[in-house]
Amino acid sequence: MKERTRQYKERISRALASPRLQEALHQFGDAYVVSRSNAFADYDFEQMRAGIAAMKDGVRENREALLAEFTSNAEAAGAKVFFARTADEANAYIADLARKRGVKKVVKSKSMASEETHLNKALAAAGARAVETDLGEWIIQLAGQRPSHMVMPAIHMFRDEVAELFSKVTGREEPEEIEHLVEVAREQLRSEYLAADMGISGANVAVAETGGIALVTNEGNARLATTLPKVHVALVGIEKLVPTLEDATDVVRILPKNATGQAITSYVTWIRGAVPCGDEEKELHIVLLDNGRSALAESPHCRDALRCIKCGACANVCPVYQTVGGHVFGHIYISAIGIILTAFFDGLDKAAEIVRACIGCRACVAVCPSKIDLESIILHLRESIGEEEGIGAGKSLVFKKIMRNRTLFHSMIRAASLLQKPVTRGERTIRHLPLFFSGLTEWRTLPAIAEKPLRAVFGDLPQKVDKPRHRVAFFAGCANDFLYPELGGDLVRVMNHLGVEVTFPQKQNCCGIPALYSGDKETAVELAEQNVAAMLEGDPDYVLTTCPTCTMALQRDFVDHLKDNPVWAEKAERLAGITMDASKFIVDVLDGAETFKGLAAPEKVTYHDSCHLKRGAGVWQQPRTLLETSGRDLVEMSHADRCCGFGGSYSFTSHPNIARRILGDKIDDIEKSGAACVAMDCPGCMMQIRGGLEKKGSAVRTAHTIELLAETLDQP
Amino acid sequence: MSDLVDIFSSSARKAGAEICRLPDTEQVGEYVRECVGGSVLLPSFATSGRLGLAAALTNAGCTVAAGGNLRPAAAGADAGVTGANFGIAETGTVVLESTLEDIRLASTLPPKHFVLLDPRKIIVDSLAANELLRRFHQKQSRNYLAYITGPSRTADIERVLTIGVHGPKELHILLVEGLSDDFLEM
Repeated sequence: MKERTRQYKERISRALASPRLQEALHQFGDAYVVSRSNAFADYDFEQMRAGIAAMKDGVRENREALLAEFTSNAEAAGAKVFFARTADEANAYIADLARKRGVKKVVKSKSMASEETHLNKALAAAGARAVETDLGEWIIQLAGQRPSHMVMPAIHMFRDEVAELFSKVTGREEPEEIEHLVEVAREQLRSEYLAADMGISGANVAVAETGGIALVTNEGNARLATTLPKVHVALVGIEKLVPTLEDATDVVRILPKNATGQAITSYVTWIRGAVPCGDEEKELHIVLLDNGRSALAESPHCRDALRCIKCGACANVCPVYQTVGGHVFGHIYISAIGIILTAFFDGLDKAAEIVRACIGCRACVAVCPSKIDLESIILHLRESIGEEEGIGAGKSLVFKKIMRNRTLFHSMIRAASLLQKPVTRGERTIRHLPLFFSGLTEWRTLPAIAEKPLRAVFGDLPQKVDKPRHRVAFFAGCANDFLYPELGGDLVRVMNHLGVEVTFPQKQNCCGIPALYSGDKETAVELAEQNVAAMLEGDPDYVLTTCPTCTMALQRDFVDHLKDNPVWAEKAERLAGITMDASKFIVDVLDGAETFKGLAAPEKVTYHDSCHLKRGAGVWQQPRTLLETSGRDLVEMSHADRCCGFGGSYSFTSHPNIARRILGDKIDDIEKSGAACVAMDCPGCMMQIRGGLEKKGSAVRTAHTIELLAETLDQP
Repeated sequence: MSDLVDIFSSSARKAGAEICRLPDTEQVGEYVRECVGGSVLLPSFATSGRLGLAAALTNAGCTVAAGGNLRPAAAGADAGVTGANFGIAETGTVVLESTLEDIRLASTLPPKHFVLLDPRKIIVDSLAANELLRRFHQKQSRNYLAYITGPSRTADIERVLTIGVHGPKELHILLVEGLSDDFLEM
């Protein structure tokens, strides 16, 4: 194992051993969802974020002209503008300025860009002591740490730790009382503002039209740091550029709502040029920081990340962040956006571990105020790192040599189903695995590989439908095919009941997502071709899936993989157009919910939203409609759409200990709902949730919605 | 228009500001004296000069450090009194064109900040403020414009909302009719 990987795993273990951190981050995540939804209650978030995305894309395209416009307007207003290509150039400029002006003390308001460049170190080398004045930043400066969140840098710390740090500063014992500690910071830092020779800020926007910047803050420290010292340096990432005042206002309107659920922060400060300072005028320097941003702008797969307005929401909703915190899941910038920015600002090596820490649940994509498809970009980076560093010899062999060869792949699975007999003892669930595999079944049972896969028995399934309304092809995916073949039978019965005939194209293969998520795009592309050909053969009206991850592969990834291939592009588009989740098909196409009305036993059922179904395929209402209409007593659990922690190989090989904690949260929510059954529409989630419930000895049963519909047809 | 004042007042209160309607500057003097023990920073601004705010504060018994260069008095002052150019109803925000340093000192350093606002100068939202922002920028080649919404706040320790970290701990918005109807004037 690489030293880098070893250290990373150690950080994970330490974080997992801090229940206080996890509890704080979980509570924060819950409170955030509520305050954010209140903040947007009277606003159209989708419309707002579409506007931000379009504006920011325009900035990316016209960035050179806008930078020139900003620079000339800022200079006309008396600012000195320096364009820093790298972090070192930015630091050297600011340190040099400090030296020339004889600066001994610098007060800083919060700036992630200065964290990125490690500016404080450079200032110290120039003989200037930088004092962070944002309360959270000051706390972590005293603790000698780095921020664990972009907006709330000290969210990982607690009042007793803060009191201890502050006591060292004041030389007396400070009580562990928050209001008191805030007052201590006020008093201590006041003298720093008054004595400082230089103030350093970041900027939330830089307005090309005016050459001014705007700062969005709550504490008031930025106003003091930009007013009292003679010299003001604003260190501004070039992605902060916006064309006009209207665009700036749009950012200011969405940022606090999405960051902290505030309608607006206490202060929004617009500064243009060298304003009066005492009897003179201010010396204003604006350092525009590139440091990888132009490279990011040139990356067709990743460039949307430049739209980021640094609200931190992608961390707030992330189950991995809530489990391990920003010191594990991040470098300087944290969470989903942190993975991407780290790769471009600090290099792939620094991002190589955390790029695998994303479980792919797309919770961040749903709340991003700039409409960045963070998950897709992270997947692309995983491919890049896969190409750079390899994806591991074992995985490589499986994906390249075995999965691409359908016959070989499937015969190996059959062989495995025979080999597993000693551990399954003929049962459908594996409760314990021997020796070094035992960790895999320590916290969840695993399904056994079925003796006969769906593909072997499908032809024998009776189809009772005379004049079918539709002929649909079933894309089963590996889990349905080899682990849960009964689900195929259930689908046939449900569809036949609705007057639909189901076929099973035998040449279908793995959807390719496991290879793609592991960074092996080549295999994923090859599998896309195989599956497009297989599923379109026979010209079905629709292609149905019961696995939302497969749905995303057929609807999104195949199109993307094959878009530049003249032979396959149109076919992939056609397949994407007719592919849909089974429950969506029943409700939206067949209008078939009423067909099951009142047929179900009145069992109390709670519904788990699978990540890729809700946030990938946009399906969440349809299964609930089916369950309720059929007569189940639907009760909502808390966090119904929070990831269950499966994530494919995430829970087996890459991060099983994180997956286990996320599953623990899900199990708690399910049990608290009081339901006798948890329904879902994803075999991956079924494997994870059923495994967790069984291991815990819970009485709650786990079922696919299609399975529950099929049950209604069993009722006498 | 009174709708806007109501929305403004309710949003400002929600953000933690105190709102009070006062009939004239004399009452402003009384109000400030009631709230403040020590000295009051009073930077120069148009309506203050026109309506004799310094005299009103002094007559009410306040110790006033008046405009020119407030730096020496700023760190020790108990309160700052400024006008506002306009208010934003949606968020209860007061907008202060603070290019003159004294305005900034009076609104950042003392623990209490009193803002005089003519209720006729309240606009709907920050989108409507764009036009005014642009007019400021057209009029001034350099400027420092501040949107202030409630007192200074932080939630950096355990996410517990705490008021008054670096900026004012109290923000009092005093609605006084007849101050000015010019949105660019404070």
